[in-house]
Amino acid sequence: MFLVTLLQSLLTTLDAVSNNPTSSNRLVVRHKSGLAQVLPMSYLTYLKAQPEVESATYLQWFGGTYKDPSNFFANFASDETTLFQVFKEEFGASGVTEDQIQDFVRDGTGCIVGKALADKFGWKVGDVVPLQGTIFPISPRLTIRVIFRGTKPSQENVLHFHYKVLAEGVPRMKGQVGTFFLRVHNADQIPRLSARIDNHYANSASETLSETENAFNLSFVKMLGNISAMIQGITVAVLVAILIVTAGTMSVAIRERTTEIAVLRAMGFRTGLVLSLLLGEGMLLVGGGGIIGVGLAGLAAGGIRKGVGASVPFLEDFSLLPSTMLLCLGITFVVGLLSTFIPAYQATRRPITEGLRSIG
Amino acid sequence: MNGDAIIKLRDIAKSYWRETLEIPVLQGIDFDIPQGGYYALMGPSGSGKTTLLNLIAGIDRPTRGSLEVCGYELNDFDDDELAAWRNAHVGFIFQNYNLIPVLTAFENVELPLLLTPMSRRARRARVEEVLSLVNLEDRMLNYPRQLSGGQEQRVAIARAIVGNPDLLVADEPTGALDHQNAEEILNLMERLNTDLGKTILVVTHDPKAAHHARFQIHLDKGVFDKTVEVNR
Ligand SMILES: Nc1ncnc2c1ncn2[C@@H]1O[C@H](COP(=O)(O)OP(=O)(O)O)[C@@H](O)[C@H]1O
Ligand SMILES: [Mg+2]
Repeated sequence: MFLVTLLQSLLTTLDAVSNNPTSSNRLVVRHKSGLAQVLPMSYLTYLKAQPEVESATYLQWFGGTYKDPSNFFANFASDETTLFQVFKEEFGASGVTEDQIQDFVRDGTGCIVGKALADKFGWKVGDVVPLQGTIFPISPRLTIRVIFRGTKPSQENVLHFHYKVLAEGVPRMKGQVGTFFLRVHNADQIPRLSARIDNHYANSASETLSETENAFNLSFVKMLGNISAMIQGITVAVLVAILIVTAGTMSVAIRERTTEIAVLRAMGFRTGLVLSLLLGEGMLLVGGGGIIGVGLAGLAAGGIRKGVGASVPFLEDFSLLPSTMLLCLGITFVVGLLSTFIPAYQATRRPITEGLRSIG
Repeated sequence: MNGDAIIKLRDIAKSYWRETLEIPVLQGIDFDIPQGGYYALMGPSGSGKTTLLNLIAGIDRPTRGSLEVCGYELNDFDDDELAAWRNAHVGFIFQNYNLIPVLTAFENVELPLLLTPMSRRARRARVEEVLSLVNLEDRMLNYPRQLSGGQEQRVAIARAIVGNPDLLVADEPTGALDHQNAEEILNLMERLNTDLGKTILVVTHDPKAAHHARFQIHLDKGVFDKTVEVNR
């Protein structure tokens, strides 16, 4: 049950990545040929001018590492002002004040980092973070100006610094950027807007691909392969294995008690009553195991978040939803019922005299 | 025999089938046992003693014939009615005691009462009463493995009589006990017959055990042989 619960939670976690309610009214515009290609910064003027667009910003994945290449986390060269307009909820929830934002805006080599990331490396406001470029040949030294809280751990494992640092340090990035993020007034407008944008740039030197932020994130998840189907497959296999093992265990346990069952029935316990007693006991046994398993999975979820989550994106949000726990407990009781019913039923069908004789 | 027979067997037969081959175990059994009698069922191994006892106790059904026990024709009952009848009228004593190992002596004795409408308090009083009758009032909270064989069998006897049944059936009740413990159990059973008026039917091949009964019924190869009165 421990395993089943963890696997199911992994599914719901991955699901949540592509289903963030606050990102449903954001549109991501990128190069049609892939994430490694860049778009002209001048597109921003056209994008901002669309009536559906409330605010627009741009981000470039910087891919820098801190001290050790294995210290992987998301870091972006971003526009220091529009960033906060487009990602209102993410930063708004953090209680970041206007004064703090201004500290960041005024310092050209300033950066803003999430709480989880700061905790991981022991960073404080005012610390200098040397970022080692991997995609770009620069290694900026950034001063932390703001540490913010997100609504989920994944939102906190991120660093943003001024786009200018990248544009001035890397000549080929001058006037170029990887992605535009548009915030629209109403999520319903997204399909029409994205079609119009892609149409507008069709047949240009840099064609665009526009999609919702959820779909954009989903494409990352998909890169990991068709994990959901695989996890479901593993879950089913684990459940079948559990069912076989518990059914075997229960049938041995019940066979060992053939005499006891016969004695109870001789005493006047009706067959149906004995059957329900056996079923109740089986459910209690298997259910108890299930509750322990789900509980352990709950504990393990925290460990996975802290341990694996730091290096595998998306797993940093790993958690057990109550609905997953309920589902798994439900599965447990079904397993308990199924695995007990057949041997219990057979045991109560057997003649009493045979049960008494089996003592030898 | 007399009119207030508690057990009336009429032409009872019981067969087992191996494939299509009929294996007769009991044939033409026809006798009565009066209310308050103490009978030993005797005969060589394989003569059908256990089978007959099981039929009378309502945990097995005859192939043919009628059996009226404690005033009821058992063939008329379905399985659940038969179970309810057993709970009200029959107490079982087995060779291997057959106590539930995870329950205390008290809980084992209480089991048959759980099927009755008795209150918790009334059950408690009744269980304590029968446990002191078998001299185990100080062992109530012990588990079977903490008791000697003789003590276990006394708990089993307490369990058999707790529901105040008319009929006690015992299959080789002393078969697993040493001489002294066996003697104790036999004396206890005799008291249940004389003091409490229980009808007792005991299967045994031990002449000493059979000697405690008033009458001995002899079976031979599944056929009634004779009834012998025990001289004392
Ligand atoms: N379930 C059964 N199937 C086939 N034969 C049985 C079964 N139970 C008992 N018998 C046979 O019935 C005969 C009488 O058995 P039983 O009543 O146990 O004898 P006793 O108690 O006198 O030793 C034996 O030959 C035994 O093999
Ligand atoms: Mg026998």
